[in-house]
Amino acid sequence: MEELKQQLKEIIVRDLKLQDVKPADINDDAPLFEEGMGLDSLDAVEMVVLIQKHFGVQIEDMDEGKEAFRSINALAQFIMQRRAGK
Amino acid sequence: MGRIFWRKLEGFGHAIFYVCLFIGGQTGAYLLLGPVVFFYVLVSRRSHRLTKAYRQRRFPEHRGVNAWLDTFRIVYSFGQILVDRAWLGIRKEVGLEGELVGRDRLLRTVAEGKGLVLLTAHVGNWQTALSHICDLAVPVNSLMHYDQAAVAKHYFDLRGEQTPFRIINTEGLMGGLVEATAALMRGEVVTVMADRYIKGPFVTADFIGSPVRLPAAAYSLAAATGAPLAVLLAAKTGRTRYSLTVWDIFTPVIGDRQERQKNLAVGAARFAGALNEYVRQYPYQWYNFFDFWRQ
Repeated sequence: MEELKQQLKEIIVRDLKLQDVKPADINDDAPLFEEGMGLDSLDAVEMVVLIQKHFGVQIEDMDEGKEAFRSINALAQFIMQRRAGK
Repeated sequence: MGRIFWRKLEGFGHAIFYVCLFIGGQTGAYLLLGPVVFFYVLVSRRSHRLTKAYRQRRFPEHRGVNAWLDTFRIVYSFGQILVDRAWLGIRKEVGLEGELVGRDRLLRTVAEGKGLVLLTAHVGNWQTALSHICDLAVPVNSLMHYDQAAVAKHYFDLRGEQTPFRIINTEGLMGGLVEATAALMRGEVVTVMADRYIKGPFVTADFIGSPVRLPAAAYSLAAATGAPLAVLLAAKTGRTRYSLTVWDIFTPVIGDRQERQKNLAVGAARFAGALNEYVRQYPYQWYNFFDFWRQ
């Protein structure tokens, strides 16, 4: 789980090309969007693509996205559950 | 009292047109439409105000009677679209004859399997024409605000038919972008009304000589998923004819985060360029009745 969370943080910083943010700066429980890390709906589009590309997990709709994008913890949990369900 | 009164009056007006459609068909309703629109444009300063921003840019040399006629032609042409929609709704056996200009190019793009974002706008008989896109070989999704309660009901509601496309409601969280992304990644088509900006990220592009805000989501969707983007605009070309034209196909890029806004604006400029060309050819089929440049 810790390894997955670290991987997610690195992907977010690298692939969303966040400036002045390091993976270590991202709190596991902080909201990813808006008031948290300040990501917006355009970033959500990229996140859906990145999760599919790196983990083979599809986020089909915002019901799933709402849960998954809550925080790094939630996203890691979501990916693990999806992988286990395969 | 005001709001309820006008709503009832609007409903009453619609009812009269439906009666005309039942009795005289499309021609009968067009005959009624002429004097109704003439009277409306004559007494309603609002009709001129709502078209002013567009008219002044599209016809800067028109004043007085010419400007009045421009308003009349825009409102009349919009009225025809509404009549057609209702006519097709109540007469299931009739239909519009249409052509899809650029069809082969569009089908080739869809066949690449990368998904396709179809950009369209509130011009021409867009809703009727788009409802005929059912032979693209992949499922079609429409990212749109779906208000079934509107008095002027959507074409497919009136036909009592199942929509040929799945509606992704923009009222949802993230404006339906997550659902749209998933659809593109399955290689499907997503249509987006790319002219009206309501909320969320935007980009600025030049349209008829002035900068305008346009929603950025479509370009971001295409760039993130690698899906190409096609500008597809509909025009009413005859009493029962329409033309759907593929004006442009391109694949936007996002690039670095600090370049994101600039790169998305390149896509918006392509769309605005196609829209510019469209209103040059069909100047009276522009149906954004507000100051488009202040949205």
